[in-house]
Amino acid sequence: MSDAAVNRRQEDAVGPVWREQFLLPLKRFPIGLYPTFMMSVFFLIPFIIMLVVSFATRTESTYEPGFEFTHYARFFSPLFTTHLLVSVQFSVLASILSVMAAVPFTYFISRFRRRPQVIALVFLLCVLTLSEVIVAYSLSVVMSRSSGLPSFVEWLGLIDRARSWYPGYLANLFGLSFFNIPFAVLILFPSCTRLDRELTEAAQTMGASPFKSFLTIVLPLLDRTIMAALVLLFVFTMGAFVTPTWLGRPEDTMMAQLIANQALNRGNIPFAAALSMFFMAVTIILSLITVRLRRGDPVGQT
Amino acid sequence: MNLVRWSKAAFITAMFGMLAAPLLIVAGVSLNAKKLMFFPPKGLSLQWYPAVFETNQWLEALTTSVIVAITAGIIAISIALPIAYFLWRHKVLYAKALFLAGIVPFALPPVITALGMLIFWVEVGHVGQIWNIMIGHGVFLVTLPLVMISLGLESIDDEILEAARTMGADSRRIFTTIVFPMVLPYMVAGYAFVIVLSMNEYIISYFLGQHATITLPVQLLASLRSGYSPIIAAASVMFILFAVVIFSLVARFGDLPKLLGAWTPKE
Repeated sequence: MSDAAVNRRQEDAVGPVWREQFLLPLKRFPIGLYPTFMMSVFFLIPFIIMLVVSFATRTESTYEPGFEFTHYARFFSPLFTTHLLVSVQFSVLASILSVMAAVPFTYFISRFRRRPQVIALVFLLCVLTLSEVIVAYSLSVVMSRSSGLPSFVEWLGLIDRARSWYPGYLANLFGLSFFNIPFAVLILFPSCTRLDRELTEAAQTMGASPFKSFLTIVLPLLDRTIMAALVLLFVFTMGAFVTPTWLGRPEDTMMAQLIANQALNRGNIPFAAALSMFFMAVTIILSLITVRLRRGDPVGQT
Repeated sequence: MNLVRWSKAAFITAMFGMLAAPLLIVAGVSLNAKKLMFFPPKGLSLQWYPAVFETNQWLEALTTSVIVAITAGIIAISIALPIAYFLWRHKVLYAKALFLAGIVPFALPPVITALGMLIFWVEVGHVGQIWNIMIGHGVFLVTLPLVMISLGLESIDDEILEAARTMGADSRRIFTTIVFPMVLPYMVAGYAFVIVLSMNEYIISYFLGQHATITLPVQLLASLRSGYSPIIAAASVMFILFAVVIFSLVARFGDLPKLLGAWTPKE
């Protein structure tokens, strides 16, 4: 077959797809133009501009058009690598801790009767949507010297003199994990409601303890959902800003803080844009992994 | 057997207790009589609640947040409904691509979205305006009503649509008399979620506000940095109560477990 024939064949294949899947539907449903407009102008175009800016030349106070890789080259500088490592470390630990707490918790909630279940869900939604500012603030009250756990531990006689537990590594880790728990519950909830009760009941009739049946039946059935939850929470934690600002030490600075600091305080928008591009690429790869994990999952979302 | 039941109850109680503890502590701190942060509070007083409405900067931040949330909700719904309906009616690539575009904002770390939008508004020359935050939140939070409205559309029985078509209803009439009323509860729930999340959102508001437009969470963090005051706690408590009221209403008038993806056995 000649090249021209191959080309024509490809055009024939592409043409109808474009017409049937894009042009004709839009003709039948012209309102579709409005969401297309909104998402393109206010979401897609900002990202394209950001991509362009990530190659721009930095000037004294702002940036000018250019095409250079200097900002991406800074990914090899310690400024970037240390903060990346810190963020990854916190995100891995916080997602594991919160999932460990959330799996049994969600399983129990999914077995509640309807009314208590609805109340539990309302409560979790309230905690989930609570501003990071309020959560970080209230946790800092809990960990403060004057009125939180430290003075309680002092009162118990376990330590001689109470001191504030924040800012600190553990304070930040606890804050991030705490913030993740309601989110983890909501990710796991649909799969937990799909678990077949008869399986665990059968195991217990055969003499397995509830604990054993949870370990040997429930956990293996949930493995893909749990993996997906871990990845989602990892991404979610990587974007944390307020919690590490308020509960962490300067050396606990995470990626989102680095981006905000470069963009807003140092006026280095191109570097912040390059960081965001890297961050976005990682997020997209991880999201694709979760989509793949959920596909073909016996108890996953349909 | 008893031991298992006890440890299960203890675990559930501990989890709820831990998650509730910060809320209770903030509520306690807000009742302090003096301008100090004590828990348990020293001397009871409700003076900090009216103070939220009497102090100019707090009142302004609160008003800004409410206006932003209400408008962002309308923007989000106005984008989500056509996408969901489009995909439900015509399962074409175009609609699928739009649906994906509506899912992406929520999956990305908000700081990236915030920076992208900031650069966009800088390029346009329209920095720090309240509209930027409204549109920003509307686009960022479009995912929630989109998923919920799609869920509502999926729950419409094909037989009802078939019957309407047989009786000669055109698609506009089917939309206004069947589809719209049936997805309305899902739309309202989606709207409620957007409002609550917009009220609590920090980083997009912070990037786009540029110290010219200040929302309540931004004001909260700024005041925390400049020193404690029970007003902060009082404002936080009002936030929490607001979320409780909204989600209780959603649960009262809608099927909350189903909205959150619980599997319901078919009759």
